[in-house]
Amino acid sequence: MQKKIDMDKIDRKIQRMKQDALDLKEMADSFPAVYRNTSRILASIKMLEMNVSDLISE
Amino acid sequence: MISEQRYWNPLLETLPHQKIRDLQLRKFKRIFQWAYDHSKFHRQLYEQAGIKPADIRSFADIRRIPTVEKSMMRSVQRKDPFPYGDPLAVPLEEVSEFRQTSGTTGQPVYQADTWQDWEWWAECWAYILWAQGYRPRDRVFLPFGYNIFVAFWAGHYAAEKIGAEVVPGGVLDTQARILKIQELKATAMMATPTYILSMADTAHTKLNIDPRNLSIRRITCAGEPGASIPSTKKRMEEAWNAKVFDHAGATEIGAWCFECEAQPGGLHVNEPFFLVEIQDLQTGEYIEEPGRKGKMIITALDRVGQPCIRFDSKDVIEWQTESCSCGRTARLIKGGVIGRADDITKVKGVLLSPAAIEEVVRSISGLGDEFEIVVDKVGDIDRIALKVEIVKGKTDQRKAIETELKDQLRLKTNLGYELEFHEYGTLPRYEVKAKRFKDLRKAH
Repeated sequence: MQKKIDMDKIDRKIQRMKQDALDLKEMADSFPAVYRNTSRILASIKMLEMNVSDLISE
Repeated sequence: MISEQRYWNPLLETLPHQKIRDLQLRKFKRIFQWAYDHSKFHRQLYEQAGIKPADIRSFADIRRIPTVEKSMMRSVQRKDPFPYGDPLAVPLEEVSEFRQTSGTTGQPVYQADTWQDWEWWAECWAYILWAQGYRPRDRVFLPFGYNIFVAFWAGHYAAEKIGAEVVPGGVLDTQARILKIQELKATAMMATPTYILSMADTAHTKLNIDPRNLSIRRITCAGEPGASIPSTKKRMEEAWNAKVFDHAGATEIGAWCFECEAQPGGLHVNEPFFLVEIQDLQTGEYIEEPGRKGKMIITALDRVGQPCIRFDSKDVIEWQTESCSCGRTARLIKGGVIGRADDITKVKGVLLSPAAIEEVVRSISGLGDEFEIVVDKVGDIDRIALKVEIVKGKTDQRKAIETELKDQLRLKTNLGYELEFHEYGTLPRYEVKAKRFKDLRKAH
């Protein structure tokens, strides 16, 4: 049976990941390996926002 | 479990259409604000038109925004920030991808993408591949010369994204590619219709391999309208014993529409990511209802590096009446991209579409895959020459083939042609986009 998708819960987790990634990036401006990898993670998180968060944001 | 899911995004792909429209409007306002704030080119364009982001409240407001044409992009590029010029909306160091248009209609346009844009390209393609039945178990072969043209690059990244295995066919020649498909038992591939047919021909004539006996069961096409032209699709499907799917995209736009597994005779516009408007070719009136052809004005709602807002693509399309049995709520365009506003030209006072001629040529079994259309003037009279090849073993049926071709052309296009029959294999062969239509009247 299909599980119901809890969009709000998914969105909350996406926003938490985004905030963690932004915090990490801010800590890493003298650490290229962390800075660049975090930038790419943020691009992936943006795809999650397009797939879920954009649907519920006003 | 994941592989059994019908939709890549079960929320977005089944959203009631009014909610898709609401989402499009919200996203349009966001990308318009972004371009206004970050791209000198867009800021200047909108200031000259007297439009500010706060003015955009409805789809009617969107129609007041100036469109962008390829020629406008050409004139502002090759300047700082080099080479993209004022359309660039991010610092140059955030650009991670360079691509350029093929230059078919003039000087190429350069396209900058950030890594986020590149993820977005692959995301749009992931919707396409999932809808066409690609799954993590697939081994996808790309017989594509990875280069400055976007072509199947994003298809490659999307196939990885959905979990499939990707085999890059890169610089291998056609025979080596076919042998690699055979060796690895690849299950799917992506190429232009011209190249799909050319590969099948090479397999038979050079390698004595029947492509139907290879393991390819799914083919995704791009670059030409052939996969939405029934007779061309049929030729490809029969040659490879595979399902052939169409999709349409462009360097400046993105991958904006696709055929799903239900193959409803049209392509779904990926509406949560693109806003498509259709404008009457003659009157400029906007077309909402199905059944009327017009040119497409398109906005990529999430592309930030070099925004694509109300781009006049010159693609001719029409909305399809019926919805799709696949359950996707995004609207369909009937028969894919019907042609280009540049190509659909009047000959002897009648609208001529090269796609309609392709449909006729490929529906006649005695004719080869290649053909060429040349429109010229003799005095003041338009003349259309159609060059075709008769397949080997059918040359004795030339009279019957000629009669059928003439009748079908008259029926489907309302025009008469001077037919030229060439020896099989002598007309030009193309590996990527074919150039089969030449209008020499423009040179006069």
